[in-house]
Amino acid sequence: MKQNFYLQYVLLVVAQILICNFFHFTPYVTLSILPVLALCVPVKVSTPAGLMIAFATGLAVDFLAEGVVGINTFALVSVALVRRGLVRRIFGEELIVRGENFSVRRAGPLKVTFAIFLVQTLFMVLYIWADGASARPFSFNLWRVVASIAAGVLIGFPIADMLTPEDRR
Amino acid sequence: MAAGKKIIPALVNAAIFILMEVAALSLLHNNGRVQNFFISKWMHSFMAKTWGAAENVRYYFSLSGMNEDLASENFALARQVDYYKSLTGAEAPSGLTEVGDYRYLPASIVKSSRNKQHNYLIINKGSEDGVTPRSGLVSSCGVVGIVDAVSKHYSYAISFMNTEFSVSARLGREGSVGPLVWDGKATDGAVLGQIPLQQKFAPGDTVYTSGYSSIFPSDIPIGVVGDSKVVNGATYEIKVRLLQDFGALRFITVVSNKGREEISSLENREDD
Repeated sequence: MKQNFYLQYVLLVVAQILICNFFHFTPYVTLSILPVLALCVPVKVSTPAGLMIAFATGLAVDFLAEGVVGINTFALVSVALVRRGLVRRIFGEELIVRGENFSVRRAGPLKVTFAIFLVQTLFMVLYIWADGASARPFSFNLWRVVASIAAGVLIGFPIADMLTPEDRR
Repeated sequence: MAAGKKIIPALVNAAIFILMEVAALSLLHNNGRVQNFFISKWMHSFMAKTWGAAENVRYYFSLSGMNEDLASENFALARQVDYYKSLTGAEAPSGLTEVGDYRYLPASIVKSSRNKQHNYLIINKGSEDGVTPRSGLVSSCGVVGIVDAVSKHYSYAISFMNTEFSVSARLGREGSVGPLVWDGKATDGAVLGQIPLQQKFAPGDTVYTSGYSSIFPSDIPIGVVGDSKVVNGATYEIKVRLLQDFGALRFITVVSNKGREEISSLENREDD
């Protein structure tokens, strides 16, 4: 059964808005599934289109969730820029040429986890820097980045698995 | 030729990327203005109505705890009133909305964030109730925030738990004054800076608002002194445990300085 990627994508953006508004664990953890969503945008979608999707997604979350307006957009657009390059380097050039998407079953959990780790790292470093990092001690920002990446990878893996099933083209 | 084919898409990608990042950064930079323009018009109302309903459910389950706090606060206030009545023999005035230079308005929080570095509050009073931007928000246990934008029925405030928020605070009733800022970690943690080394203090001393601003009245207890350290060999930096736990905050009071416009115009004249 083919799944509707974009419907799932929109539902997950709504989930992210709910996470931002209601799931408050600790100041050390910023939970975001947005980098994984940007990573899982089909490979056949070009970089400019991916950038626009990321920009629209970031704006929607910025305006409908709590926090500083522009912060998600700022961090997510960078993830969208490196998405295809990252997929090419981690999962192979062949995938891009064929226009196929990566999947956990085909690429293996290790490679997918590594890709999620990279996009989470990029996103969180930019997000936390923009979220007033200069006003806080370096140790606090470091722990915040580490804890947020760990939480993001844990929650991101099942989402990536769901968004990139074997049969999607 | 092949290299040229690769360079052009890369340049297009880079141009779009830069354009979008500049747009995002300008949103970040003009955050206050964006909130004033877009959010205060209808987004605040939307957020207050939508998310506020869910907050009400959470508040419902914490009502018994709040009742206990209110009862003990009520008891303490009644004792104070009795004490002052016994001293002066006078009855308390009936309309307590204006005291001295300040106007007080009770309000409740319909939505708040606590997990960000830039936290905010939305309260259920707006311009129709007389709330204006730059009004202060206080509770019986200290400073809560400053109103940033108002719509008809709601106001958007910057919480004390915000990296951009600083309140002038005094160590004890007659001690030194310094900026008090949130520590960025706990809902009841703050840091008081720029306290001279000759200032004597001890853990457990109370920190009050200084009154050195046109927003908050003086002598509102904010927190108690904890550990301290010397910064750059010149001043103390003191950890303060806030009396108000922001995790359990619901009812607040809006404080407006009746002479603020006059003070502002004087300041502006001095700047010119």
